[in-house]
Amino acid sequence: MRIAVTGLGVVSALGVGLEENFAALVAGRSGISLTPSLLQSSHRIPVGELSLSNEELHRRCSLEPKGHLSRTALLGILAVREALRDAGLTDLRRVGLVSATSVGGMDLTEHFFRLFKEDERSGRLRDVRMHDCAASTEAIAYHCGLGGYRTTISTACSSAANAIMHGAKLLRHGVVDAVVVGGTDALSAFTLNGFKSLMILDEKPCRPFDESRAGLNLGEGAGYLLLQRAEALQRDPYCYVAGAANSNDAHHQTASSEEGEGAFLAMSEALRRAELTPTDVDYINVHGTGTGNNDRSEGAALKRLFGEQLPPFSSTKGFTGHTLAAAGGIEAVYAALSIARGVIYPNLGFATPIEGFGVAPVTTLQRVDVRTVISNSFGFGGNCSSLVLTQQ
Amino acid sequence: MECYVEHIACHDNLKRDPKELIPDAALRRRMSRVVKMAVSTAVESVGGVEGIDALDAILTATGYGCLADSEKFLRNLIDTDEQLLTPTPFIQSTFNTVGGQIALLRHNRCYNLTYVNRSHSFEDALLDGLMRLSDGESQRILLGAFDERIPSADRILTRMGLGRKGELGEGATFMTLTAERTTDSVARIARLDFPSEPLTEAECLARYGEEPTAELIYAVDGTRELYPTRTARLVAEAARRLSAERREVIIYNALLGGTPTVIVVRWVG
Amino acid sequence: MEKLILELKEHLIEELNLEDITPEDIDAEAPLFGDGLGLDSIDALEIILILEKNYGVRLANTAEAKPVFYSVKTLAEYVMANRQ
Repeated sequence: MRIAVTGLGVVSALGVGLEENFAALVAGRSGISLTPSLLQSSHRIPVGELSLSNEELHRRCSLEPKGHLSRTALLGILAVREALRDAGLTDLRRVGLVSATSVGGMDLTEHFFRLFKEDERSGRLRDVRMHDCAASTEAIAYHCGLGGYRTTISTACSSAANAIMHGAKLLRHGVVDAVVVGGTDALSAFTLNGFKSLMILDEKPCRPFDESRAGLNLGEGAGYLLLQRAEALQRDPYCYVAGAANSNDAHHQTASSEEGEGAFLAMSEALRRAELTPTDVDYINVHGTGTGNNDRSEGAALKRLFGEQLPPFSSTKGFTGHTLAAAGGIEAVYAALSIARGVIYPNLGFATPIEGFGVAPVTTLQRVDVRTVISNSFGFGGNCSSLVLTQQ
Repeated sequence: MECYVEHIACHDNLKRDPKELIPDAALRRRMSRVVKMAVSTAVESVGGVEGIDALDAILTATGYGCLADSEKFLRNLIDTDEQLLTPTPFIQSTFNTVGGQIALLRHNRCYNLTYVNRSHSFEDALLDGLMRLSDGESQRILLGAFDERIPSADRILTRMGLGRKGELGEGATFMTLTAERTTDSVARIARLDFPSEPLTEAECLARYGEEPTAELIYAVDGTRELYPTRTARLVAEAARRLSAERREVIIYNALLGGTPTVIVVRWVG
Repeated sequence: MEKLILELKEHLIEELNLEDITPEDIDAEAPLFGDGLGLDSIDALEIILILEKNYGVRLANTAEAKPVFYSVKTLAEYVMANRQ
């Protein structure tokens, strides 16, 4: 059974919707700002922040600003609604949702906890009822009218790629008639400080795969795809989910192995499932966070799998920042557009290859026929996931 | 879709000490209480760390994740005004910590996924397991669930109207799923369903019961151990109750409102 | 110096949760990472915090820290030279 991608929706630091995102990508215009403007944090450090407050996001979703939905849920609602509109689907009773998040309603919990910490009788309960991961999934399903099976996946930065893989499986097994898959994560002081404490935040805009890279920039956003069985379609889809695989690097809790074992296994297995070989790949949207460890490890896996025939690759983290659980969703949307519109995006921030490594990403926009794309998402806990999207 | 269940372990009934179960001191020393509790239970269920080698999928489920470490990191960041924060609680607060640590103990690189979907988390992970076994993608799956109880969450849940009767609890339960029956099988999961609306006892028995002696057990049953992934423990309870006289137990879960789930567990003789 | 070495060992045991280890068990000249105490990159971050919180000694990154972090003795020498 072939699984088709029939609708796309995305929100990121590049803007709301496919067209704002695509325009920035082809123009090479980064969404990363030098300091957060909405996020309440004492750290003056670059982030990929969407410049709409929670109140404005409520309005964009045609919801009461007093609705008190978490930012994670609001970003998700915007992107999922776009994907559904895009596909023109109207009967949503058996449309499922597999949503990924890592911070859930942490933006509201942070408010709540400041008060609660001083006096356990204070803090408004409406600010903590969206704390758990499933709360954002439930809110998205409710406000988008999705009536089918739904679940929430959280495997750190690989979450949304796993959600896409899982959604395809639910379709094959007939658990759902169609399924919205992807992820959403808002910026929060919790994650910003978490990555800061790991000393992997760059104080300048990130430079994936560059010798001078000094860490990642955190971002926020949501990216969702509508998946349907190819047989049931009225019109041509963007692309197909031809293969997907999840592997565990099992090397260290936060660091990837030098040889990129997990990444290598995920990419090779995803290709095998798609019945394709490395020479079929036209573009790789790499995980490429800009940390010393990720890029070296992922680069080693790329060299091992593709040898001298490394296809064009780029990280789009220089545009959006690292959007954690949403990254796999946002980047799958970009990968689908890469196939549908025949483009390969530039890797912002790259100038000098990593010493003694010999791999260089694409640095200018390419307009070429793109038939097969690999999208990589790796995370803490060793989770490595790769998706293979194809034109046919 | 159906599967067989082996070696169910529950956190409060472990035969060995966490130190024995998790021999790697470097991993163990960083584990929070819930991570240690869940990983120990997982290791006991597979009969020691070597048992991890035989697994070809590791599925974990949690409703709220690692609450104590999440709270610790949040508290530190407020107290210190975001300065000089120690990374360990942040790393350990990640929902897939338990699944990752199990893999790390034996460098098992297999499929590894974590479901965090309130009171359906365990059932969602079970569905993934059933699909993998039915597709022939896995032969031997570790499936487990965990949730921890912390004072702040108790206070908040009580303010929300839950837990006033002292019914809040915590737990970790792990088991192995196989497609074929083995000499170690203790039960068969004959069916997993996500009905679209609540069912009465009579409706539930009529729809899912195949045996005249079928027994229905509820995730919300007045006992003092409510937590989002309690149904994992009820699978252990169901397996214990099965016998030649009671060949079928149906677990009905309508925890925390929402739509219910149904797990049908049958005797394997 | 001896006092500082003991103090550092106590901080390490406390902050890194070194189970069943007493200050006497740690050889001040043995490597902390790899074969010695078996510490890793996360511990390195914790040690940076120990130095900063207790002695006001700052290290910008783990690369700069490498020779300093060789053993408890090298840590103590660095603290002696840079403490405020």
